[in-house]
Amino acid sequence: MTPREPLVSNTKCDCGHQNPVGTVLCEACGKPQDEKELGAEGNLEMRYDGVARRSQRIRQGVIDRIWNFFSSVKIAVYLIVITLLGSMLGTIFPQESTFLNIDASTYYKEMYGTAGNIYYRLGLSHTYESWWFITLLVMIGASLVICSLDRVLPLYKALTRQKVRKHRQFLTRQKVVLVSPLEADPEAWVAALSEPLKKRGYRVKTEGSALLAEKHRFSRWGPYVIHIGLIIFLLAVLARGLPGLNMDQHLAFPQGEAARIPETTYYLKNEQFTVEFYSDEEMPEEFRGKKVLPKLYETQAVLYECTADCTDPAREPVLAEVARHDIRVNSPLSYKGLKAYQFDYDLTPVLRSVQPELVNSLTGEAYGKFKLDMRNPERTFQTGPYTLSLKEKYMDFGLNEEGRPVSKSPYPNAPAFLFLITGPGLPGEGQQYFYFPKQVDKEQFQQQAINERLGGSGRFLELEVQDMSDVDFAASTSYLNIRIDRAMPFVWTGAGIVMLGLVLGFYWQHRRIWLRVEDRELVLGGHTNKNWFGFRREIAAVLNKVDLIVDEKSLDNGGGLA
Amino acid sequence: MSLLDFSSDVFIIAFFLYSGAFMLFTIAIMGRRWSGRKPEEHTARWGKAAFIASSLGLLCHLAYFITRWMGSGHIPVSNMYEFMTFLSMMIMVAFTVIFAIYRTIILGVFAVPVSIIVMAYAAVFPQEVQPLIPSLKSIYLNIHVTLAALGESFFAVGFAAGLMYLLRTVNFDSTARSDRKQQRLVEFTLFSIIVIIGFLGSVFAFRGAGYESVFVRSNVTIDSSGQGDSTIEKVSYKMPPIVAPYQSETEVFQPFLGITKPLFEAPSWMNGVNAGRKFNTVIWSLLSGLILYTMLRLIVRRLLGKAIHPVLDGIDENDLDEITYRAIAIGFPIFTLGALIFAMIWAQIAWGRFWGWDPKEVWALVTWLFYSAYLHLRLARGWQGRRSAWLAVLGFLVVMFTLIGVNLVIAGLHSYAGTD
Amino acid sequence: MGKARKPVQIVILFLILLLGGYAIGTSVFGGDGKPQEGSKAPSYELLGLDGLTHTLDEYKGQPVVLNFWGSWCGPCVKEMPALQAQYEKWKEQGVVVVGVNVGEDRLTVENFVKQVDIHFPVVMDTGRDAVRSYGVSPLPTTFFINAKGRVDSIHIGQLELDTLDVQIGKLVDP
Repeated sequence: MTPREPLVSNTKCDCGHQNPVGTVLCEACGKPQDEKELGAEGNLEMRYDGVARRSQRIRQGVIDRIWNFFSSVKIAVYLIVITLLGSMLGTIFPQESTFLNIDASTYYKEMYGTAGNIYYRLGLSHTYESWWFITLLVMIGASLVICSLDRVLPLYKALTRQKVRKHRQFLTRQKVVLVSPLEADPEAWVAALSEPLKKRGYRVKTEGSALLAEKHRFSRWGPYVIHIGLIIFLLAVLARGLPGLNMDQHLAFPQGEAARIPETTYYLKNEQFTVEFYSDEEMPEEFRGKKVLPKLYETQAVLYECTADCTDPAREPVLAEVARHDIRVNSPLSYKGLKAYQFDYDLTPVLRSVQPELVNSLTGEAYGKFKLDMRNPERTFQTGPYTLSLKEKYMDFGLNEEGRPVSKSPYPNAPAFLFLITGPGLPGEGQQYFYFPKQVDKEQFQQQAINERLGGSGRFLELEVQDMSDVDFAASTSYLNIRIDRAMPFVWTGAGIVMLGLVLGFYWQHRRIWLRVEDRELVLGGHTNKNWFGFRREIAAVLNKVDLIVDEKSLDNGGGLA
Repeated sequence: MSLLDFSSDVFIIAFFLYSGAFMLFTIAIMGRRWSGRKPEEHTARWGKAAFIASSLGLLCHLAYFITRWMGSGHIPVSNMYEFMTFLSMMIMVAFTVIFAIYRTIILGVFAVPVSIIVMAYAAVFPQEVQPLIPSLKSIYLNIHVTLAALGESFFAVGFAAGLMYLLRTVNFDSTARSDRKQQRLVEFTLFSIIVIIGFLGSVFAFRGAGYESVFVRSNVTIDSSGQGDSTIEKVSYKMPPIVAPYQSETEVFQPFLGITKPLFEAPSWMNGVNAGRKFNTVIWSLLSGLILYTMLRLIVRRLLGKAIHPVLDGIDENDLDEITYRAIAIGFPIFTLGALIFAMIWAQIAWGRFWGWDPKEVWALVTWLFYSAYLHLRLARGWQGRRSAWLAVLGFLVVMFTLIGVNLVIAGLHSYAGTD
Repeated sequence: MGKARKPVQIVILFLILLLGGYAIGTSVFGGDGKPQEGSKAPSYELLGLDGLTHTLDEYKGQPVVLNFWGSWCGPCVKEMPALQAQYEKWKEQGVVVVGVNVGEDRLTVENFVKQVDIHFPVVMDTGRDAVRSYGVSPLPTTFFINAKGRVDSIHIGQLELDTLDVQIGKLVDP
């Protein structure tokens, strides 16, 4: 910005104050320090009160260059604009992260044609995780830190060491100016003016016939408070990625069983999942019979913590209930930083166990029932005089290309069990028996025919479920999003500080009025960082109290620096 | 009469009161030369009447809002109709606040119509009360949406003042190159506004006439296992189809001005039947906007900007510049709180992540970044006045895209806002 | 302040470089924690068919072929003979083949092992913990882990006898 300064330059103001290199307006009296500026007309540049910013001082070396680069507001605006444009690009097509299971390398080409392919190849399908976008955010972070540091300390110094009596040119080149003849005794007049100023909340300092009135200085710190908040926010976001601070998984919880939450010692049980839809009466007439609107998704959840035998896969864990909550959208379960959110659901019932009874189909005699679990069933069962040993188990029964029975998936969609039964009336080596617990499968896979082939015609034993109470199944499955995010308090703190800074900076204005009465002439200059209109009105009202009638508008000394 | 009926009646009254206020504001400004009174006296008198009318309108609007809330059992900001009516109300609130500070009568001539247009746009959407889906059942619906809309409304007032600044300061008599450029840009801005009016006009005209044509398209998708799956999509056009959806068949075609079949078919990259319908709407809007613009040009026989320019005579441009900046400065913290911070809090509670780069979220961020750039640029010399006014105009375009464009063009998590 | 300025600047720029580098680094090198070629193979603690709990650390200093499979997955069944053959071939040189069954119960696994006649150690990942820590999505997926405990290569899909031989050869003699 400023050309290279000579190593030694005269930076002493006429008022006797020694200013640092790069000072625009004397730190003490406000006289313009630049020869060119001194001869110029128009409004003074009042940014940072004309003090030298750190970066404006003698420049040398790489460190200073980098520092100066990031301390420039111009660069900051460029960074903001580039980030803005980059963010826009990311919304042209959906980001990869919006899909759970796609092969991005083919998906974009298939869905969006050539444009999609180019989009993918440019890496825009993951814009917000790309190195250049993160780099932009890091640079914005750097700019926030350095810009603030570079300005806030000098500004603080300038505002805490203000002199009351300022150079005449400093006053007449403000944006609010009044030069008016004044017959009254200077000191008495200044003292009289102090009263209405104080009433309006100004802190008034006088020095003979000179006066400085100032209010809401804290408003000047607003922007820096915002920047501090943003830095905390960005650091918190960065910290989220640290191992151990963040966990995010989508898990299925079949109704009625406690399922372990991986990477934690917690277990969660979905006691009851409910989905409700709006009835026709609750819907507007136009929708009736046409649209289905969901009303409620709710998982009645219980959270357990494992207290013993947690990691040993060979033993059953010991659980203790720690929390209970009806999880809905907008109402997650929360326990010590672990949160469970309603994410999705599946109303397909999942079979858990059946209790079939062994019956003699010839005599009708029943030998008693046993519990057959779909997962980890017992291997042998004793009912009456018969022993059933489980030989094979298929969760999703089907036949492969060679016609051999296989399981098509690990899910109990069509469970099938092969038993070897031994006991009275059966061949010595026993009799094989295929059992399909689900009625549909019995028919589809022809259980009767299979068993006839396996056991021959003299078969008389059947497994039958007598009552629906002997069937245990999960009526539905609720999918929950389990999260831990230990950095969140810092994210909110950052956001809160940003908000505080915004309110300070935008809803109050730092207003200052300088005036000096000399040679029967009043010279008044005023400065505010925002809302000149209100400021002029206030000055006019204050002057009115000491019977100096001025038009608000006439105080305007031109210039558009609002 | 039920609460909801009362609500829609009082809404219509608000609409007419705003329109009346707009006319009164216009008379207050335009009439000052030939009223016979002193211009200041005329403006003050009519301006007062106009402000009373707009305030009454706002009261009616508020009554609509409260009774609809009571009648439906939830805050009426849950779909596009409700949101747009709320936004127009907030624009009037923002206008009233700024007007109370600056007492600039002419602001009414530009800010009130913005609200009226948004209000008319709301009427494009289905108006019935819908019950809330689970994800909207939250106190943050109330806080997030209302604050975001209020912040955006101040940006809308900033837009109106910025446009006024441009109309006031651009030299419409000059033929210098830079001035010509400015004239053309202002004219383009005005034309864009007229296209929006054209869109509204054609929607309501064809709706009034009960126009409808229907297209069907069967989609055959082949899944990974090689099984074909065919679905039939149906789309109903409420405007005469100039463009039919890509590879679709006509089911019902209501002739219009002797046209009995669509003139063109949408290009193949416009996926889905709705893309064709939206494209058709865009064509109609441009067409009617163009007709409207040509008619206006024929009446005034010069650039519209040049025709409006004298209206702003005698208005201090620095005041306009300050109003623009002030409106944005008041709106910015509210926008930050509503559209970003409360949005993040809600997203954290509903979805478990405070930020997910959803298109709506990204565009809220884009808006925020845009106005932060604006606020930083205000510090620099040479960025007050003209450039700053252009930024205020452009910024509102970004706001509108965030509110409407994202829902129309990009689908995302916010698509339940019910755009049509 | 004057004298402290330079050190302050250096410290701040260094911090920015450090944090920024970390941020960019994690974004470029995939901070999702899933093992990639060259990264350390995550440990596991799973119940074996022998009824004992097994970990990866048991095979410290030995190359390990970690194969994730399910009895219902066709390609998994087909590649088993190849795995068994290579297990026999490379056993002498300290190569360990470990089959990780994904989410099935003991009976199914036992029957399967018997049916396809494999003799290398098999562990059962009933809670899908190893699946998660290894970031496995389709089955079968095979991780070739070298003697230093780092992932040498990852094979997704069915293994073939000869390519498997080459890959194990690379593990033993890089």
